[in-house]
Amino acid sequence: MNRSFSKVEALAKLALVALLAGGLALPAIAQTTITYADWQLAQEGWGKSLRAAIAEFEKDNPDIKVKAEPVPLAQRDVRFSTAIRAGEGPDVFALDSNPVRQYIAEGWVRDLTPFVTAAGGRSFLADFYPNSLLPVTVDGKTYGIPMNTVAMGLVYNKKLFDEAGITAPPKTWEEFREVSKKLTRSSTGTGTVDRWAFTIVLAPAGFDLRVSSIFRSFGGDFLTPDWKRSALDSPEIKAAFNYIIDLILVDKVIPPGVSQVDANGARRMLANQQIAMKIGTTWSFPEVSAMNPQLDGWNVLKIAPLPVRAGSISPVHTTLYQKSLFINKNSKNPDAAWKLVKFLTDAPRMERWWDDNAMLSSRRSVNEGYAKIKQSVPASVVASEIQYGAFLPLIPQWPQILDAIRQNLQAAVAGTKTRDQALADAHNEVNAILERK
Amino acid sequence: MPLSATPGGRLPVAAVPRDIGRAMIGERHTAWWFVAPASAAMVLILGFPAIAAVLGSVNLGWGSAKPFGVASYVRLWSDAEFLRTLLNTAIFVISVVSLHFVLGMGVALLLNLEIRLRWLFRVLAILPWTMPDVIGGIIFRFMFDTLYGGINAVALALGWIDQPIDWLGRPGLALFSVIMAEAWRGYPYVMLILLAGLQAIPREQYEASEMDGAGPWQTFIHVTLPNLKMMLIIALVLDSVWECRLFGMIFGMTGGGPGQSTQNLTLLVYKHYFQFFDTAYASSIAVVLAAILMVAAMPYLRIAIRRAE
Repeated sequence: MNRSFSKVEALAKLALVALLAGGLALPAIAQTTITYADWQLAQEGWGKSLRAAIAEFEKDNPDIKVKAEPVPLAQRDVRFSTAIRAGEGPDVFALDSNPVRQYIAEGWVRDLTPFVTAAGGRSFLADFYPNSLLPVTVDGKTYGIPMNTVAMGLVYNKKLFDEAGITAPPKTWEEFREVSKKLTRSSTGTGTVDRWAFTIVLAPAGFDLRVSSIFRSFGGDFLTPDWKRSALDSPEIKAAFNYIIDLILVDKVIPPGVSQVDANGARRMLANQQIAMKIGTTWSFPEVSAMNPQLDGWNVLKIAPLPVRAGSISPVHTTLYQKSLFINKNSKNPDAAWKLVKFLTDAPRMERWWDDNAMLSSRRSVNEGYAKIKQSVPASVVASEIQYGAFLPLIPQWPQILDAIRQNLQAAVAGTKTRDQALADAHNEVNAILERK
Repeated sequence: MPLSATPGGRLPVAAVPRDIGRAMIGERHTAWWFVAPASAAMVLILGFPAIAAVLGSVNLGWGSAKPFGVASYVRLWSDAEFLRTLLNTAIFVISVVSLHFVLGMGVALLLNLEIRLRWLFRVLAILPWTMPDVIGGIIFRFMFDTLYGGINAVALALGWIDQPIDWLGRPGLALFSVIMAEAWRGYPYVMLILLAGLQAIPREQYEASEMDGAGPWQTFIHVTLPNLKMMLIIALVLDSVWECRLFGMIFGMTGGGPGQSTQNLTLLVYKHYFQFFDTAYASSIAVVLAAILMVAAMPYLRIAIRRAE
């Protein structure tokens, strides 16, 4: 009896100790909740790998809980700008380089320089490609941490190339035109064309990266190097502008309805083999493959550097895309937010982004040191193009400038303006935007 | 002292006995208390954004770092895109509202007939109105798609065309397509107002018209239309205001393109506010749009005030 009593007593003591330990431990696991908003959380593949990374982060940081907020890309700026203006918004959010300078100019993102300095300053940033830091750095202050950097290239369907007797991707835009004529044909033999060579993106989503890449591969650019004036009156841009319109209206190697084609529409056409080429990058492989698994995209699709204009000596011939992470100026938990930013942009996570989403890193050590990236042909093509790439102009007026160029190119394609008039209007409108205070 | 009524039938306040007057004033105060919460909510919900927009347009909005000025309004009149968009809006609203009246009146007259399963037809007729305009825009975008769209597929299958038509890529066709889509989606609103008006017309008037030997057209012109006058004005004003503010259908179908050919004022406000973060300019466009809508709404307001009196 005494023995059983002592057992009960021991159990009771144990329970009391456990209870006390639990009670004492409570303050230690009190959690800080931060929100993380990213348009890629709304995408199946990316969403899965981002959530897995968040789970790892929460495991490593039991005192921080991360609430993932998927934001469709089309609504991103509407939701972020409305929330931040109202003193709210996610603690951490992702942006591509397009609107970054607007967010910085509006004061919507936190200056991360103190965090970067505490993390090692220059040595912390040393692993990132120097040009990947350009969009997020203003007046020596770091406002964001780069996550992924890629260059645009020419994605093509090798099977359709073989069927048309084309042995290699075109190296110049002159060759591209000849190749395109061979690739545009009827697959049914009825004479009705149902396969085209290429599509360009003229709808807002994706216009910037694709059209800018063509302009640059012709040796031109939208703005002068100091980003103060329009450079749309240069002979290179005129040649590129006319070239695009010729592909659509004269050669007819682009499917009809091009004004409505966005980046996703172009991917769908490549997935359905309605086109043989498009401008893209490593992300095209998983995305096109997911749209049509029967295509066997990872084997059928190839990527090559963009063609250039014969004789062009410009060192830049493509456009860079970058995703970076930022901390909201309204964040009440900047320390926890910084931990998440640092975690999602560290080397092991960068390797995961490649494994899951075929996205190259903004860190040189990952692109050059991770075996799976080193062994990948598409990765090596895109990584080697990064040095020939440039970001779109990093000025707050950029979205407005882009809209003016897009609308005038669309008007020229639709025939409501002559080519010369459309280009001249775009040039004047861009200058007017830049002159406006 | 005898009570004498004014020509309008109201008692002059001085002529009202003191206790009755007190009771009336008391009732009026009580009424104010009842109205106050709703009025306060209206001021907060409608008044606050309106004031914020006006202040924002002259850089007096919260957090605005720019100096006070009317530069945004000056810019409006030299901005070719704004003027083009204003014209687009006018063409769009006039076309769509006209089609709504033709369709709405036609369907309302049919649904006013004594036919079997009238309730079912009425439900079917209002279905387009139940579709959110953004969803409608996306659906019509697919229907008008050059390569995959149902409209080209049917026209090609029937041999009406031998090449797919780029409905949304040609400025004239794009505007036409958007007008047609919105005409279909929005007509039930006008139809319902007119149907309510038709049902309120006394049967005796039609019987008298028939006895006088009037034909259907004469009856429509001389009996139906005069009786519907008030409803027509209400429908015209409300539908015009609604179509001026339309966003989702155009955004979903064309995004305002190609070029600026289908862009309306609401899309322009959206673009400047949410894409270019140009609060002052977006607010000034919104203020001009609101002023246009207020002028357009005047006939309705006059009717509403007259009825209230």
